[in-house]
Amino acid sequence: MDNKNSIFRFLIPSKGYNILFYLAIPIVIMALYLTFIWSPVERTMGEVQKIFYFHVGSAWNAFFAFFVVLVFSILYLVKRKRIYDIIAGVSAEIGVVFTAIVLATGPIWAHSAWNTWWTWEPRLTTTLILFFIYIAYIMIRNMEGEWQKKARLASVFGIIGFINVPIVFMAVRWWETNLHPVVLGDGNEQSGGGLEPSMLFTLLFTVATMTLVYFLFLRKGIYIEQLRLETSKLKAKWQEKEINREAS
Amino acid sequence: MRYFITPALLIALKDLYSEWRTRQVVVTMLIFSALVIVTFSFAFDPTRQAVEALIPGMIWVITVFAGILGLNRSFLSEQKQDQLHGMIVAPADPASIYLGKVIANYVFVFVVQAISIPLLLILFDFQVPGDYGWFLLILFLGTFGFICVGTLLSAVSIQSKSSEMLLPVLLFPLVTPIVIAAVEATRIVLAQDASISEAFSWMQLIVVYDLVFFVAGFLLFEYVLEV
Amino acid sequence: MSYLFAAYTIIWLLIASYVFVLGKRQKAAAKELSFMKEMLDD
Repeated sequence: MDNKNSIFRFLIPSKGYNILFYLAIPIVIMALYLTFIWSPVERTMGEVQKIFYFHVGSAWNAFFAFFVVLVFSILYLVKRKRIYDIIAGVSAEIGVVFTAIVLATGPIWAHSAWNTWWTWEPRLTTTLILFFIYIAYIMIRNMEGEWQKKARLASVFGIIGFINVPIVFMAVRWWETNLHPVVLGDGNEQSGGGLEPSMLFTLLFTVATMTLVYFLFLRKGIYIEQLRLETSKLKAKWQEKEINREAS
Repeated sequence: MRYFITPALLIALKDLYSEWRTRQVVVTMLIFSALVIVTFSFAFDPTRQAVEALIPGMIWVITVFAGILGLNRSFLSEQKQDQLHGMIVAPADPASIYLGKVIANYVFVFVVQAISIPLLLILFDFQVPGDYGWFLLILFLGTFGFICVGTLLSAVSIQSKSSEMLLPVLLFPLVTPIVIAAVEATRIVLAQDASISEAFSWMQLIVVYDLVFFVAGFLLFEYVLEV
Repeated sequence: MSYLFAAYTIIWLLIASYVFVLGKRQKAAAKELSFMKEMLDD
């Protein structure tokens, strides 16, 4: 009954996922504690500065998610295995969610710090373009047709989309320095330089927490796709049976 | 090398010739760019001095928007008679198909630029500085990068039913850096107090962009055109 | 400060809604799968 082809293996989440999930709960609580209570309040901006931790955490992992898309796009074009395509697609979706977090928290920070809802700051603007690139990627995946075509085209776009990102960043940075000469007060946004050790620790911990969340979402997303894949396989089998039944 | 360039040129000539017979695409692009210029004239009163700052932006807006029209059609005609499959099974290297399409698309956009940009400059009474060589160079480099990416993405989007909707969605995020760079460089070069050296860093960005995406298109096109 | 509260509320909302969407998808996918399995067992 519990042979390898049993569908029941899909209905039970894997052990790995369960471990990750139960690990995540204390880690997230720890990250929140570090952010709100443990880390020091910043001198000039006050408590609002704490947006920074999950903002940067989300941003870093959005880029990581899209890097994963790049890697598995290349792998798919070379090896043509469906699992690579599935991973790329799920990762892109998670990346869009994280990018949305960055784009939502960025203006809130900007308004509290510089009293403006949007600033054409290079990282924020690049994130906006990133958002549109991966929305476009997801639109390709929602095309009509068989999965090989969609996977192939999406992989091509996944590759050029990612290599475009550093170019976008450079272009926006030069463009923005023409509009607003570099403000020295941007100190505490730059990671490492000028960050107090406890802030740095909180930041790193939060980034790691969001990475864990990313992998949780990734595993869950892959699992859902595997369910769907199995369903379509069964559907094909059933259709064959019906055809044979009608034929006899 | 010959086996590579010749099919490319043949494909380019085929596109150019069939366009010459009907003149459909280029005329549409020209009308569109004329409309853009006229609309901009109404939106931004041409007699005001400050409007000169808008000229570089408008040049590239016209290029991009008219270009998208042309790019849409470039593979549309192939799809109609299922020539797309013909191209796939043809013994030509997919990269030379890409090159041929890039050349043809570039020529279309170039024709539109050659007509609409002087028109724009006249209508806005803009004084072009004496040595406009840099301007032409930037125009060429910027348009080339745009066409490289556009041709690749046009081949991707044509395989969808809503190809005309998909192409702009795919294209705009990817051409953002070259539009920024081209507009900035054009602005510096067209200004009366020509400090050309500032434009060099922008031009470097454009060249990098062109190289990266031309090579990417070259290598990836075969994956786009698979059966 | 209300900005901080707003920001983290948004983060929480986005994550929570994504978790919710994933949960719904999983339920639907599992349901379809068991349905197909039943059909095949006929």
